[in-house]
Amino acid sequence: MERWGGMLRVLLSVPGWRGGTGGWAFSSWRHHLPPAGLSATELVNKWTAVFEKEGIPEARESSEYIVAHVLGAKTFQSLRPALWRQPLTPAQLQCIRELSGRRLQRMPVQYVLGEWDFQGLSLKMAPPVFIPRPETEELVEWVLEEVAPGPCVAEAQGGPLILEVGCGSGAISLSLLSRLPQSRAVAVDKGAAAVCLTRENAQRLRLQDRIHIVPLDVTSEGSWAHLLPWGPLDLIVSNPPYVFRQDMEQLAPEIRSYEDPAALDGGEKGMDIIERILALAPRLLKDSGSIFLEVDPRHPELVGGWLQSRPDLSLQLVAVRRDFCGRPRFLHVRRSGAPDGCPVDVQPGPPPARAPG
Amino acid sequence: MRYPVLLSVARCLWARPAVAPARRHLSCRSPPLEELFSRGGPLRSFLERQAASESQLQVRGPELVAAAKRLSEKEQELQETEHLLHDENEDLRKLAENEIISCQKEIAQLKHQIILLLVPAEETDENDLILEVTAGVGGQEAMLFTSEMFDMYQQYAAFKRWHFETLEYFPSEIGGLRHASASIGGSEAYRHLKFEGGVHRVQRVPRTEKQGRIHTSTMTVAILPQPTEINLVINSKELRIDTKRASGAGGQHVNTTDSAVRIVHLPTGVVSECQQERSQLKNKEMAMKKLRAKLYSMYLEEETNKRYHARKIQVGSKGRSEKIRTYNFPQNRVTDHRINKSLHDLETFMQGEYLLDELVQSLKDYADYESLIEIISKKL
Repeated sequence: MERWGGMLRVLLSVPGWRGGTGGWAFSSWRHHLPPAGLSATELVNKWTAVFEKEGIPEARESSEYIVAHVLGAKTFQSLRPALWRQPLTPAQLQCIRELSGRRLQRMPVQYVLGEWDFQGLSLKMAPPVFIPRPETEELVEWVLEEVAPGPCVAEAQGGPLILEVGCGSGAISLSLLSRLPQSRAVAVDKGAAAVCLTRENAQRLRLQDRIHIVPLDVTSEGSWAHLLPWGPLDLIVSNPPYVFRQDMEQLAPEIRSYEDPAALDGGEKGMDIIERILALAPRLLKDSGSIFLEVDPRHPELVGGWLQSRPDLSLQLVAVRRDFCGRPRFLHVRRSGAPDGCPVDVQPGPPPARAPG
Repeated sequence: MRYPVLLSVARCLWARPAVAPARRHLSCRSPPLEELFSRGGPLRSFLERQAASESQLQVRGPELVAAAKRLSEKEQELQETEHLLHDENEDLRKLAENEIISCQKEIAQLKHQIILLLVPAEETDENDLILEVTAGVGGQEAMLFTSEMFDMYQQYAAFKRWHFETLEYFPSEIGGLRHASASIGGSEAYRHLKFEGGVHRVQRVPRTEKQGRIHTSTMTVAILPQPTEINLVINSKELRIDTKRASGAGGQHVNTTDSAVRIVHLPTGVVSECQQERSQLKNKEMAMKKLRAKLYSMYLEEETNKRYHARKIQVGSKGRSEKIRTYNFPQNRVTDHRINKSLHDLETFMQGEYLLDELVQSLKDYADYESLIEIISKKL
């Protein structure tokens, strides 16, 4: 009897079954049966096979993340054994089916789950807002390393004032703020969806009081003027769009079809927004303020050359750091002293006293 | 059995009930340590020799001698006061009783102080640690027991208000645990847990057993002290960090979700992995923590083996193969074979609270005792 029930259960829980008649049967089986239905492992294997057959990249990882997520864990590794043997409810099976269906459409796992982790934070993810990559966690680490012992920063009232250009989901600003409890940030993005998502993530993490989120396109003429009241800034941090235009076509369908191209496409040499940020920086940064950028491995040389052609900016490329795969990925650019040929209208005479707070 | 004499002495001491009614509250410290202080005992003569010898020959210097002197004074005082207990005057008797209680308290403290002065603190006692549990002989049943043991230590950490973070967890199909590790930190965490390392044996009717037969299974616990930044310096050039993003352009060009990190320490070939988290950076941090603990315990091994060569309570890898404890469910008893101590009420024990703490305390005391014996005999 028990064995028959178990077999029926398996039959009933395969995808495609849309049950509605077996309510009484389910409830009574659940009392009498050992967990002979599809276990979490079996489900992972089943969906892995489906994904592999359909040519979905990271088939096993995708399947594991989806099953773990529906069972309330972040990774399959971190599932408690109790959840391992518990039979999944029809609602859970249905949920896994739906999420897997989205993955079959090549939706990135982070959008499928609606959340992802960055540094120590869980952030909401929603298309088409750019999904933070693991490299960017290292950019944040670097900024924290540079900021921590700085005496010039300690003197600033309550930690550095940070500007993030192109905040997307808010990953960089929010992780910096969570690690620098005295700090404040201005986060700008030209995409309305990104501005909304950063705001939502800030509220979820209770950081909304220390972040100012502004819809702003740094490429539009005079846009920087809106930022002047916030300056002078200690830091500008950005993971700007840096993909070379010719590379855009080769991106995986997950990226091409779901993520906002404006967050990726950096123009012909991937330098459009990088140049824009560097050109604006001297007007916003305080003396010896810093810019930290994530870039393409071809960029350190291009940026170095470009800065030499623009001595009027008084910016210096002071350090290049490699990512965990050994590619030159991060730049530290510093403003050196008062620029001579800088536009005179920005800071006439001595810099204005900073407003407290 | 390296030291049969020591063992039999210990056994006899463990079995002995509390000494005299009047001194009962002294027995809160373990019997062997208490016995060491008995008149004419080895520790007494050791302390006397210390007091007599030149200051440069003294093991712990003037502090120890002063404490020993104060102890004899207090004991003298106690003896004298005890006569007053038979006095006719009731007020005087009351006074004497109070006096005796405070005297005994101070004596206990002095003894404790002397032990602390004599037993050298280990360099790593205050460190955080990595706990590793691995299922041994016995298939699924061993894995089920491993899972229960891991829970027990997690609860013990909560009981001691320590920080507990799971680094990896490899469950078996039916709810058991093949292997897991966790980072534990807090006041004297390593000092308490270092004696848990070794083979733990369970005897019971497994959940998976249909015939009702009792099985014996095992699992292994390893306790690795977490080095501080100063304890262990690793050159980043000696590390190879593997991730799934190693090929291709990386950065914005790819969006992969496999956040597993594997670190290889090239000179030793020691490998550490983590895929517990969705954040690659977090996985790297955890893998690094584990790698550091592994390297540090290798480094400590030689020293430790030398130092504990003669001891029954082994710490470090040498102790990992030793069968230290049996959990006998039919008899509802847990027995630690090193100190031949049994506790009853396994269910409570497995909750990882005061019963486990009691056993841990006994092991600590016994280790102190062995350490004291070693010091005393060295100076004979």
